Formats: sequence, C-alpha cells, structure tokens
Amino acid sequence: MNRHAGLAIGIWLGLLLIAAWSITQARFTADLAAFLPRSPSPAQQVLVDQLRDGVVSRLILVGIEGGEPQQLAQISTRLAQQLAADDAIAYVNNGAEDQLQADGEFLIEHRYLLSDAVSPQRFTVSFLRKALEGQLDLLASPMSMVVSRVLPRDPSGELLHLFDRLQEPGGPDKRHGVWFGSQGTRALLLAQTEAPGFDIDAQQAVLERIRAGFDAAAEEAQAGDAELKITGPGVFAVASREGIKADVIRVSSIALALVALLLMLVYRSPRVLLLTLLPVASGAIAGVAAVGLVFGSVHGITLGFGATLIGEAVDYAIYLFASTVAGSTPGKALQRIWPILRLGVLTSVAGFGAMLFSGFPGLAQLGLFSLTGLIVAVAVTRWVLPSLAPAGFSVRTVDRFAPRLTAVLDVVRMLRLPLYALVVAALVWLILPGKTVWDDELASLSPVPESEQKLDESMRRDLGAPDVRQLVVVRAPDRQAALEQAEAVSAVLGSQPRRVLGGFDSPSLYLPSERMQRARQSALPGEARLRANLRQALEGLPFRGNIFEPFFADVERARKAQPMRRADLDGTGLALRVDSLLVERRGEWAAMLPLRDVADEAALAQALAGFDQTSVVLLDLKRESNAVYKSYRARVLTFALLGGSAMVILLLVALRSASRTWEVVVPLLAALVVTCAILLLGGTLNIFHLVGMLLVVGVGSNYTLFFESGEVGDEGRQRTIAALLICNLSTVIGFGALSLADTPVLQAIGRTVAIGAFLSLVFAAILTEREPV
Amino acid sequence: MISGRTRVLVVSLLLLCNTLVANAQAQEQPARADEWGIDQLMQELAGTERASARFVEQRFLKVLESPLELTGRLVYRAPDRLEKHTLTPKPESMTIEGNRLVIESAASNRRRVVGLQDYPVLWGFIESLRATLGGDLQTLERFYRVELDGRPGAWRLSLAPRDRQMSDFIRLITITGAGGWISKVEVHETHGDRSVMRIYGDTP
Repeated sequence: MNRHAGLAIGIWLGLLLIAAWSITQARFTADLAAFLPRSPSPAQQVLVDQLRDGVVSRLILVGIEGGEPQQLAQISTRLAQQLAADDAIAYVNNGAEDQLQADGEFLIEHRYLLSDAVSPQRFTVSFLRKALEGQLDLLASPMSMVVSRVLPRDPSGELLHLFDRLQEPGGPDKRHGVWFGSQGTRALLLAQTEAPGFDIDAQQAVLERIRAGFDAAAEEAQAGDAELKITGPGVFAVASREGIKADVIRVSSIALALVALLLMLVYRSPRVLLLTLLPVASGAIAGVAAVGLVFGSVHGITLGFGATLIGEAVDYAIYLFASTVAGSTPGKALQRIWPILRLGVLTSVAGFGAMLFSGFPGLAQLGLFSLTGLIVAVAVTRWVLPSLAPAGFSVRTVDRFAPRLTAVLDVVRMLRLPLYALVVAALVWLILPGKTVWDDELASLSPVPESEQKLDESMRRDLGAPDVRQLVVVRAPDRQAALEQAEAVSAVLGSQPRRVLGGFDSPSLYLPSERMQRARQSALPGEARLRANLRQALEGLPFRGNIFEPFFADVERARKAQPMRRADLDGTGLALRVDSLLVERRGEWAAMLPLRDVADEAALAQALAGFDQTSVVLLDLKRESNAVYKSYRARVLTFALLGGSAMVILLLVALRSASRTWEVVVPLLAALVVTCAILLLGGTLNIFHLVGMLLVVGVGSNYTLFFESGEVGDEGRQRTIAALLICNLSTVIGFGALSLADTPVLQAIGRTVAIGAFLSLVFAAILTEREPV
Repeated sequence: MISGRTRVLVVSLLLLCNTLVANAQAQEQPARADEWGIDQLMQELAGTERASARFVEQRFLKVLESPLELTGRLVYRAPDRLEKHTLTPKPESMTIEGNRLVIESAASNRRRVVGLQDYPVLWGFIESLRATLGGDLQTLERFYRVELDGRPGAWRLSLAPRDRQMSDFIRLITITGAGGWISKVEVHETHGDRSVMRIYGDTP
C-alpha cells in the first residue's frame, strides 16, 4: 500500500466518523408536508401550515370499543380525567360536559361586548318593548324556569342570542353521559395536543400515555375485551414513521442478503464481498449525514432510499472487480474503466441532481441523498477499494460464463424488430385517450393504509366534526387588524341568504376586535336613558317594574369595562376556538372563517369580491390540495425532463458523437415507455412513480452507456457484459425488495425502478449496435 | 341550558280496561288491601298504555304581576313518549321520546332537538312526570327522594331532588292523584316561583 492509498483511506475513515456522528445528531421525521411545495401561493401556504401544525393537525380521535356501553362510558370518563391532567394535552372532551354551559358565567359577564346584536337601536323603547314581549312568550315556554331567573339581568335577551350564535350544530349522541358513535358501540373522545402534528416524537409520547391511560382505565372497569382505537394526523404521522422504519429495516435486510448471496456466488470471496459493500455503506452514511446537515432533519422516505442505494452504488465495485483480469490488479482495471465509470456517475448525478431544485423539501432530500451517496460510493471505489483488494484477485466465474452470455446476446439481437414493434404499440396505447393516467388525490401520497383511513373517516362522522372544506382566510399584520377584517367579512357572510351559505364560524365571534368592543360599549345608553326607555317599554306589560335593577347595573358595568383581550378568555372554551381560528405565522396573523353548507360558491365569491384579494381568500381545501398536488406533479415532471436533458448534453459532450449518444438514449427511452405501460396496466400513476422514472433514467443510463462504450476487444466486451448483468441483477434485487414495502411511496418507487432498470439492460442488449469484433 | 328546563307536567288517563284489571286484582286479594304502598301505586300507574287529557297550568312568577295561564293537551304513550301541546297563550309543542326532546313553536316556526343527557336538570324534571306515568320507581328514585301520603283513592307523591344542580332550580314537586289517575302537578322552584297544573279527563 503506497502513501497515497494510505492517505485516501485515512481521509475516508475520518469523514466516515464525522458523518456517523452527525447522523446521531439528526432528527427523523415522516410528515407528509415535506412533500408539499416550499414557496406556494398564499392560499396554499395556509393549507400547508394547517397540515403541518394547525389545530386540525393536533387532533387525536379516540374510540373505545368492545364492551358493555356502561363499561365503555366508565373507561371514557376515567381516560378523559387522566388526559385533562396531562400537560401535553391542551384540550380533551368526551361529551361529559357541555362547554357552553360551563362557560355560562363568562358569557353572562361579557355578553354586551360579545353579542353582535348590540347596537344603539337595541336599547330604544320600541326594541326593548319587542324584546320584553318575546320574553313573555318564553315564560310560557318550556324555558321559563331559566328565563325567569335571567330576566331581571337580561330583559333584552342578549344571553339567549349569544347561546344561539355560539351553539355548534350537530354533535355525537350520548349514552351514559358521554359521547357514543357507531350505533352506540363505540365511546368517543376528542383530544388536542399542545405539540404540532409534525412533532412526531411529542405525538408519539402522547399516544403512549393515552394507551397506558386506557389500559389502566379498562382494568379498573374490568373490561378485558375493550379495545382502543386512535386516529388523527399525529397518529398517522407516528404510524407512518414506524411503518417506514419497519419497511426500511426489512427491505434493506432482504436486499442486502440477496445481493450478498449473488456476489458470493460470483466472487467466491467473503473479503471481496465485504469490499463491494464498502462503497454502498459509505455512500448511505454520507447521504444521510448530508441530508441531516442541510435540512436539519431526515425524512423517513429518504431513509427508505438507503435500500435502493444498495442496488445502485454496489454497481461501481462490481464493475471494478468484474473487470479485473486474472494476473492483473484492480488498480490497472480501474485505469481502464475509470473514464466510463466517471461518465456514468455524472449522468446519474445529472438525473438525481434535478430533484435538488424541485422546490419540494422532501424531494430535494431524496436528490441530495442519492447525489451524495453516489459520489461517495464512486470515490470510495476509485481511491479506497483498489488498495484493499487481495492481491491476484480475479473473478473466475465471469471467465466461465462471459462467453456463453455473449453467444446469447447474438441471438437476442434478432429481437430488434419485435422490440421496436412492442415499444410503438406501448406508445400508441399510452397516447390513446380514455384512461386515467394520474391519481390526482393528495391523499394518494399518504403512507397510511386504507383501513386506517376508513376508521378515521368513520370516527370523524361519529363525532359530527364538520368536514371543513371551504373557508375564508383573512390575513393581516396584527391580531386586531385580523379580527377587524374578520368582522368585515363576517358582516358580508352573515347577510348571505341560505341558498348561498348555510352558516359560518369566525374568531371574532369569540373575541371581537377592540374597536368592535368599543363600538358596542358606545351603543349602550347611559343609566338614566336606559331606565326611562325601559319604563316606557314596560307600560301595559304584566312585568313587575322594580325587578330590573341588575340589568341597569350590568349595562353600566359593561359600558365602563376594559375591552376583553385574548388572555381574559383563558380557561374557557372560547379560548380554544379563538386559538384554532386565529393564528400567527411568521409575524403575520391569519383568521380562518370555516363555512358550512356552501350552496352557491360563485355568489359567495361575488359577495367577497369587494375585499382585497390578497388578504381575503376564499379557499376550497380539497380542491386546493389537489391543485397543489397537480402543480407538484407538473414540477417533478419538469425537473425530470431537465435532468434528462442535462444527461443527454453530458453524454454529447463526453462521447463527442450524436450517434453514440443516440445509441445510449434509445434503449433507455424504450425502457421508460414500456415500464410506463406495464405500471399503467396495474393502476394509475402517482408522483412517486414519476420519481421512480427519474431513477430509472439515472440507473439505466449507466447500463446503456457501459453497453455502448464497453471495453474494446473480445474478452473485454465479454467481461463488460457479464459485469453489467451482475450489476443489473443487484439493482433489480435492491429495488425489487423495495417493492415489497408496505409504505405506498417506497413500493411505487421500488416497482418502477426494478422493472425499468431490468428493461434498460435487456433493451440495451438488444438495441445497441456492436462493431464487428 | 338554551332549551331550558321545562315545566312539562302531564298526566294520564287510565284506560277503562286497566282500571278493570286493577279492580279485578284488588278483588282477588282483599286481604292485602291494607298493605297499599308505593309499589302498588307504581304497578297501577304502569298499567297505562295510552292516555290523553286536557291541562290548565298556572305559573306564579316573581317577575310577573299576575299569574300566567297555559292550556293545552297532554298525551302519553307507554313506555316513554310524552307530548305536551300548549294551545294558549302561544301554540307550542314538546315531544319527549327516549332521550330526545323536540320543541316546536308554530308562532316562530322553529324546531329544536335537545338530548336530555346534555341537560341533567331538564331530564330529571321530565322524569318526575314521565317516570310517574310509567310507574317507573327506579328512575324516580334516581332523581328524587320519593314520599307517598294518602290512600289509593287520594294519594300524593312528594319528589325532592337528590342532585345538587337540580335542587338549585327545584325544591319540591308534588303529584296528586286517585287510583291510576294523576290530577295535579305542583312545582315549587327554589327561588320562589311556583306552578300548578291541573289535569282533566276528556268528557265522553
């Protein structure tokens, strides 16, 4: 071993240690939002924020099944108590308490500042008269017991109006005092975590405590058959991280075992086998470390790619060892094959590198990981492996089967015409209209199994959680401005007839802007006026005249009160509602006004047209998320094409020949077309199939390139072909193992690349023109 | 809270055949007549399948100078359906079945559906009449301490709420009747209001 080699090994080991250390510092995530665009439109930004850490992302839905309703109710009650005492949980409700009733005192206290019915007219003689007549009707109704008590404080009926306004529609049924769903077989509980949905570690800790709490409560209720069902975005995130982790471990083990077996058969040397795996391992470690350093966290999907790297980065070492002729050294072989190896890596890098600039953090991670991994793997192959290889090593197996392989190739070449026919047929079929090519649901990216999604849907239905699809988003520089703008929008929404809009919610209902509160205060008359007006209004009505002192006192107090601030709401259900509808993000405030039963969206848009369209946005979440997905797909496609073009230019420059470049590119294109057709036969395509195609280009280009520019000379050519076959087998094994993953993302990529890479080699073998030897 | 605690108080008409059955039982066991008590009363009340009657209710409220008078009809159907149709002063109807209370007001054209379990006080209040009509002592005792005075021909049930929250509103409910028939329901509210509902059988 010379000094250079020693230096190279030293640098390699040093960098490896640093990378390994930095991995131990990295945070691992699995949130889907990483696969959403980084610089979206304002409307999309709201969507992305909501998915990442909105209140919706913090919801945990808990179902308790499999026992007597009485037992389930008991468990629900006990669990709710435990969760209420948990600092990590902001809010829990199992229906045992009616939030509005609990807030009764607060609402009475602040009714004149909260009620949108307060106006100067409300306290005139004629309005008071009308209100009192209404109260008289109520005294004859089932509500008299309450009305007669509140009447002396509230003859204008402000409290009743507030209750009507704040009451949430729907809600689940109750049995034994708690929420039940699913025809009374499942007790329901709703919890909201303090931590955002993307903080998987925090979510996982909360879930574990919910499970432990359930176990204890079930034991206490002696309900051995009771089962816990948990769902929600945080639950999904935790489950998918676990799923991805399990997949990565399983897939990597399978891939590693099969590749090792294959190489053992070929090399018959454990040492060389280990050496072959060195570039892969180094590449994977460097890739993860690079992603962790650049992005701050490593996505689970990125780790899933570790398995694919086994399939691809192993190629360089195989190519090196298979090319080492008996009696020579790997170093000599390397000198021969290095130019083509280098070109191969560069083309792959061009393909993967495109992903770096895609604007989607998740995809950029994949790009950076692959890019770093490949460069490190080839560098290790180039500078570290030759000096570590045993002296006099050559792959004898290759000597034996290479000639036979070449013979097979000559036969295979006769398949050129049928292959062209196949490709044309596939192309025509692809172009023919009438089939759904793309699955444009954002949900199709979700790593959550369908059964879990069904459970989630059913529990949401049970809880009567209105599926917020449409909302108005109001953006403003500060909280007060956001509230004021929300009030202006509310006024417009409130004036819409039922045939346009069923109803809406707004943070300003729970926390009016200070300006609005002051306006309401100034609408309240002075005590003398109020007394005179009420006296006049009472004439001829059967009320006792002297009972309304509390009313005068309350109005007078409200007139002089300080406007409510957010902190005044602490401990009430109103606080929760305000916080979920009014959020600060990057120094800017957004108020959300969810809409119910939008019947005429065009009319609604028309009504809102008077507002500044950059600060008031009417948003359809489902449509928007699918639009995000579509634009995402379009961008991935663009970057795939850019990557492909970069690759072609690189080949043109390196090979200095259009016809040779053509030779390399044609088998690849044919492979892509046929792969596409095969995948479409099995269903629709999603974004990850597209990413898979990009990988096919990156991997497949190496095969076609090596095929086209293999070493001259009979024996060299035979060796090239043998090496390529081994490389290809290992790639197909790597990605084939990935297609066994349960995570849809990994499965899609694995399937695409396994098929594509295999076809690239076969097609290259059939289509590449060979000079007569 | 919004839908309040009702002042439903209702009654039932014993169907003729039930009275006959009860009489027949009484004749078979004359020796036990002196053992008449709450169980016997409940058994007799439970015999009612269907009943319908007029009511006149007077509400003596502190906020009003003169009492408020309501008239209308009560309808009961075993085991758990109770309807109160107020005709004057303002048409309004309440229907309770199982755990659901539906309030419909013809004047304001509104309909409210309320789950009784959300409003324990209202629920207890409704059971004072519904459980009595159904002869369901177990439910009555869940909400009230029950006392019985009098004899089969003129009895009085006194219901004192057990629950703290409920006794904030209601001090005592007394139900007066004869045999399987309820003739008067009086509600004494904690803060002094009072209502009296008299129930009249339909004149044939």
